[in-house]
Amino acid sequence: MNASSPLPTDSDAFRVAVRDFLSEALTPELIRAGERTTSVFSDFEAGRQWQSILHQRGWGAPDWPLEYGGTGWDIQQRYIFQEECRQANAPTPVMMGIQMLGPMLMHFGTPSQKERFLPGIISGENVWCQGYSEPGSGSDLASLKTTADHDGDDFVVNGTKIWTSMAHYSDWIFCLVRTDKAVKPQAGISFLLIDMATPGITVKPFTSLDGEVEQCQVFFEDVRVPTANLLGEENQGWTVAKSLLEFERGGQHFTIDLKKQLSKMQHMMSSETCRVTADPTFAYRVAETQIDVMALEQTELRIKGSLTAGDNPGALSSLVKVSGTELGQRCAELLIEAAGQSAIPWQSEVLAPSYNGSTAAASESVTTMAEYINSRATTIYGGTAEIQRSIIAKHVLGL
Amino acid sequence: MTMTEEQTMLWDTADRYLRDNADFNQRRDQIAEGVYSQPQKWQAFAEMGWLAMPFPESMDGLNFGLREIAILAELCGQYLVTEPLIDTLAVASTVLMHSDQAGALVPDVISGELIAIAAIDEPTAESRLSPSSTLSKTESGWHLQGRKYWISAGASATHFVVLADSCNGLAWVLVAKNAEGLSCETFPTHDGKGGANCHFDLAIDDNQILLMGDAASDALSAFRECAMTLSSAETLGAAQAALDTTVDYTKQREQFGQPLASFQALQHRMANMLIQTETTRSLVYAACDAADRDSPDRARFARAAKVKSAAVGRKVTQEAIQLHGGIATTDEYIVGHFFKRVTALETWVCSKGEALQEFMALDNNKIAPAGPA
Repeated sequence: MNASSPLPTDSDAFRVAVRDFLSEALTPELIRAGERTTSVFSDFEAGRQWQSILHQRGWGAPDWPLEYGGTGWDIQQRYIFQEECRQANAPTPVMMGIQMLGPMLMHFGTPSQKERFLPGIISGENVWCQGYSEPGSGSDLASLKTTADHDGDDFVVNGTKIWTSMAHYSDWIFCLVRTDKAVKPQAGISFLLIDMATPGITVKPFTSLDGEVEQCQVFFEDVRVPTANLLGEENQGWTVAKSLLEFERGGQHFTIDLKKQLSKMQHMMSSETCRVTADPTFAYRVAETQIDVMALEQTELRIKGSLTAGDNPGALSSLVKVSGTELGQRCAELLIEAAGQSAIPWQSEVLAPSYNGSTAAASESVTTMAEYINSRATTIYGGTAEIQRSIIAKHVLGL
Repeated sequence: MTMTEEQTMLWDTADRYLRDNADFNQRRDQIAEGVYSQPQKWQAFAEMGWLAMPFPESMDGLNFGLREIAILAELCGQYLVTEPLIDTLAVASTVLMHSDQAGALVPDVISGELIAIAAIDEPTAESRLSPSSTLSKTESGWHLQGRKYWISAGASATHFVVLADSCNGLAWVLVAKNAEGLSCETFPTHDGKGGANCHFDLAIDDNQILLMGDAASDALSAFRECAMTLSSAETLGAAQAALDTTVDYTKQREQFGQPLASFQALQHRMANMLIQTETTRSLVYAACDAADRDSPDRARFARAAKVKSAAVGRKVTQEAIQLHGGIATTDEYIVGHFFKRVTALETWVCSKGEALQEFMALDNNKIAPAGPA
C-alpha cells in the first residue's frame, strides 16, 4: 500500500490495512528488538529506524493534528494502530519528542519554533530527552535549582538534571530552568530547548538494576542557549511543564501493554516450564487482574472518547496513570511467579536485537525478570503514584 | 460521561424525583413500620414509565436498553431505594416477557399492579441453578412443592416467580402471594428491602407455568446476567454516594485544628476510592452496552462487572465508614446504609465468587482485541 492510498474507515478493515503494512515493514531484527523490550524503550537504533519507516509512511505521529503531520485518524483508529504495533512486536522509539514536546510546541511555540523543531521530531532525526528532575528536586519539582541567567542574546545555564532517560542518545533536551529566584518557586521557572552538543554539557549514565543503561545525569556548566529557544514566555515554564505532564500521563494506552502481558501469561501458563498450573489460587488472581484490566481499558476509552485530537485529558490522566502502572506491576509479579526459576538467568547480551543464539532462561521468560525489575520505576517516573493521588484529591475531589 | 441526550434526560428526571421523594429519614421511619414499598411511590414509578422500560413497543413498553435501566439502578443505589424496582424489571424482562402469558402479565407489570419477584434461593439446594423445589404432573394439572428462602424484596411482592425442577427440566412458575397452599413469612432485612421465606405446597394450572425446559434454562441465564449487571449498577451508585458523603464530611469535620480533608493520608485513601469507583463505572457501562448490542462478549462483561463492583462496593463503603469514624457506625447516619445495601447486593442472584468462576470458565475468556465492549 503506498502513502497516498486512503485508509479504510471501517475499523476491521483499518486493522487489516495496518497489519498488512506491519508485516511488510517489520524486519526480523526489528521484531526481535520489540520482543526483547523490557521497559518503555526498545533498543535505541532499532527504535530510531522504525520511527523513520513510520514517518515515510506518513504515520510518524498519529496523535498529532493533521496540519503538523498527524494522520487525521479518530480515537478508535489510533488505538487500533498502537495495539497492532505492539501485537506485531514493533520496537518503541524514544517518544519524548513526539508525545511530550510536540504538543507543547504546537500549543506554546512561535511559528518559527514549530517550523524549526517539529519536522525533526516526527522524522526521528532529532531525539529529545526531558530535563525535569534534579538531585534535590524530585516530587517537589518546583524547587528546582538549575539556573538560566540572561547574558546578551543568550541564557547561560548552570546546574544538573537527573533521571534523564536516554540523554546519552539525545540530540536535544527540553529543560525546566530557574529564571527568577525572587518570586515563589512556580513563578520563576522557564522552559528551555537546549542542543545537547552545546559546550559545557556532560552526560553521566546510570546502570539500572536490570544491568541496562537508560537513566542519566546531565550537567550544565556555563551552557549558552539562545533566547530564541525559550518555549512559552519567560517565567511561564510551570504552566508548560504541568500541561506536558498531563500529556505524558494520559498519552499512553496502558491497556494495550497490559493485555500483552496477560497474553504472555496465558502462553506461559500453557507451557511445560510453568510451575503454577497446579495452584488454583494463581488462576483466580490472574482472572481478577484480567477483570481490572478490562475496567481500565473501558476507562481509557471513556476518557479518550470525550477528547478530540490534541486535547489534554487533565487530572483524569492521573487516574489512568495510577491504575495503569499499578496494574502493570501486578501483571509483572504474576509473570515472575509463572516463570519461576526459569527467569533467574541474567544475560544482557540476549536482549540485543542482533542476538540469535540460545538463552539460559526459558525462551518465554527471557525478558520476564527485567520487566519485573523495571516495572518498579513506573510508579516513580512521570510523577509518583503518591503525587498522582494528591492531584486526584485536589483537582477531582476538591480536597 | 458519554450519555446520550435521552439518557441524560432520564437521569435528570429520575434524580429530581428521587431527591424530592426518597428522603433518608423517611426511609428509616417506614422501615421501622414494616413498609418497604410505598404504594404512592410505586405508582409514581409506573406513571414515569420506569416499569415499562424493558418491554417492546408491541407490549406498550418503552423499549429501552439495559443501559437506561442501569441509570435507574444506579440512582436506586444512590438514594437507597427500597422499592423492588430492579428486582421486578430483571425478572419481568427475562422471564415473564418470554412466556406465553406475556400478553396478560406485562400490562399489569407496567401499570404497577403485578409486582413479581424471582424466588430462586433455597435452604438446602447445593446451587441456586439446580432447585430442589419440584413441579410435578398430577391427574388434573401440576403440583408445586418446595421452599424458597431469603427472597430479597419478597415482602413487597404480589407474586413470586418460582424456579423449580420438573419432569421437563427447569420451570418458572408464577404464584400469587395470597394463594392457598403458599405460606409466606416476611421479615425486615439489613438493607431495608424486606424479605420473605416461602413454603409452596399447592396445585398449579397450566397458565401459571411461564416457561419450561430449554426456554426456562435460557431465561434463567438471561435473568442472572441481567441481575449481575443491574446489581453492579446499583452497587456503583451506592459506592459513589458513599464517596461523595465522605468527601463532604471530611471537608467539614475538624480535628487537630484543621479539616480531616487536609490530611494527606486520608486524601490518598479517598483518591483510591475515586479510582476504584470510576474504573467500576466504566465496566458497568460496558456491560450494559455489550448486552444492548448483544455482543459475543456480553456474558464476559456482565461477570467482570459483577466481580469488580462487588469488590469495589465492599472496599469503598468500608473505607467510607472508617474515614467518618464513630458517626458512620450509627443507624441514624446514611453511610452505613450504603455499606449494608452493597453487602446484600453482593450475593443477590449471583455472588462475586460465582461470577468469577463463571468468568474463568467462559470459552471466549481470552485476551480480546482492544476496543469498546
